[in-house]
Amino acid sequence: MEASRSDESNLSPNRDQRSNLNPAHNSMISSGQVWPTIDGPLGLTEEASVDYARRFYKFGFALLPWLWAVNCFYFWPVLRHSRAFPQIRNYVVRSAIGFSVFTALLSAWALTFSIGGEELFGPVWDKLVMYNVADRLGLAGLA
Amino acid sequence: MDRNQQRPRSSILDSLGEELIGILTPVSICMFTVVLLVCLLNSDPSSSSFSSIATAAYSETDSDSPWDKLLGAFLNSLVFVAAITVATFLLVLLFYLRCVTFLKLYMGFSALVVLANLGGEISILLIDRFRFPIDSLTFSILLFNFSVVGVFAVFMSRFSILITQGYLVVIGVLVAYFFTMLPEWTTWVLLVALALYDLAAVLLPVGPLRLLVEMAISRDEDIPALVYEARPVIRDDSRLVQRRVWREQRSNVNDDDVENNVVRAEEEEEQRSEEISVPLIDSSSSSSRPETFLEGIGLGASGAIKLGLGDFIFYSVLVGRAAMYDLMTVYACYLAIIAGLGVTLMLLSVYQKALPALPVSIMLGVVFYFLARLFLEVFVVQCSSNLVMF
Repeated sequence: MEASRSDESNLSPNRDQRSNLNPAHNSMISSGQVWPTIDGPLGLTEEASVDYARRFYKFGFALLPWLWAVNCFYFWPVLRHSRAFPQIRNYVVRSAIGFSVFTALLSAWALTFSIGGEELFGPVWDKLVMYNVADRLGLAGLA
Repeated sequence: MDRNQQRPRSSILDSLGEELIGILTPVSICMFTVVLLVCLLNSDPSSSSFSSIATAAYSETDSDSPWDKLLGAFLNSLVFVAAITVATFLLVLLFYLRCVTFLKLYMGFSALVVLANLGGEISILLIDRFRFPIDSLTFSILLFNFSVVGVFAVFMSRFSILITQGYLVVIGVLVAYFFTMLPEWTTWVLLVALALYDLAAVLLPVGPLRLLVEMAISRDEDIPALVYEARPVIRDDSRLVQRRVWREQRSNVNDDDVENNVVRAEEEEEQRSEEISVPLIDSSSSSSRPETFLEGIGLGASGAIKLGLGDFIFYSVLVGRAAMYDLMTVYACYLAIIAGLGVTLMLLSVYQKALPALPVSIMLGVVFYFLARLFLEVFVVQCSSNLVMF
């Protein structure tokens, strides 16, 4: 414990000097580099990130909006620093748009279904609702 | 101090608190979720329509005498531990023959089956219980999304740490919930048997896990299996960029020998399909469907603590089974397991090699369960009813 505390006290005067020079880019310069992923130094480098972002974006078209959301979450620093990574930002922004559109459509359908209920749909509601489908297909019989 | 000039010898004791929390939090979340599921879904404890390999030898009914139940439980555990041993040796063989791609594919496939199949069933049970008006189309889309992204998280090595950890905990919760549905005596004897097996497999020189770990160290490779790794603690003196590299070997300036941090203990966990048999599972060959859950605790390449998913599962099974009796036993078992995990982590920091994480915690947990059930409950009930203590 003692060693870690003394290390921090050694580092902090350096940080203060740097922050006096350039207060706007304090966080960037003191870490030495901006990392494109949310994991920071534990995550991907910039070159690998482009590949990952592109692959997530393309795979998301297979009815996988959650993958688009994960893409945005993972590359959150790209969305925050808007000038930093132009290539990655392209894919991430498109993923965000795709996720919002898909969620809007899906929740519109789901809410209509659950709030509308039987009055809106008639007997079809009973055929579509999950617990009846599960009973019919025998999926829920476990215990 | 000379610590500032040389690279300090970084042992796990330096940042023990932070790393402990990094492991205790997911274990606690897993246990809490399983207890929640058990309490919500409130499966009838006497109904044993659940059949798996763990009940292959004997299925418990209420009318048997205690001696019969004990004997049957022993037989069941024997079968299960034997199956796990066979599966683990199979894993060792495959790893020896360098079929790493096959193992990785298998890992992804088993994650998909657990998330889609078990996850779907538990969600349906929850929907049934709460009569949630969701329609089948939305449900299937959500389930599909959830499982496919889970497979990505498990399969790809460079993925968001938080999401990978989340999915591993979810997989642990799902499997643990299904194991809590085993009959009661079988569960307890099985837990003890698995603790003993873990001890043997990791520490004996002929144990399969020890062979696996030694092979992985000698080849400097990863073992493809489901292991939870806590987020590595970033210390200021370390090289940040290479933290995530698995094969890194750090050499300390102080020591002459090279410290090899690629140490793990793993054990394969086998899971038979449940009574809802999907045709795909039945058509697989006579060898079981081992799913590479791991047990055991060790240190990852960056010094972060790794805990096998099998440990999560069996801790949660213990607590879940305790929840089926009463919440008082849950508290007692939870504290016992956390204490056992702390002891294991201390031993890990002392011995710096792969250790079995099950024995201490399970033994403490089982002892405390029976003590709480037999003695503590009577005491507390008497005190409460006489208004001495609430």
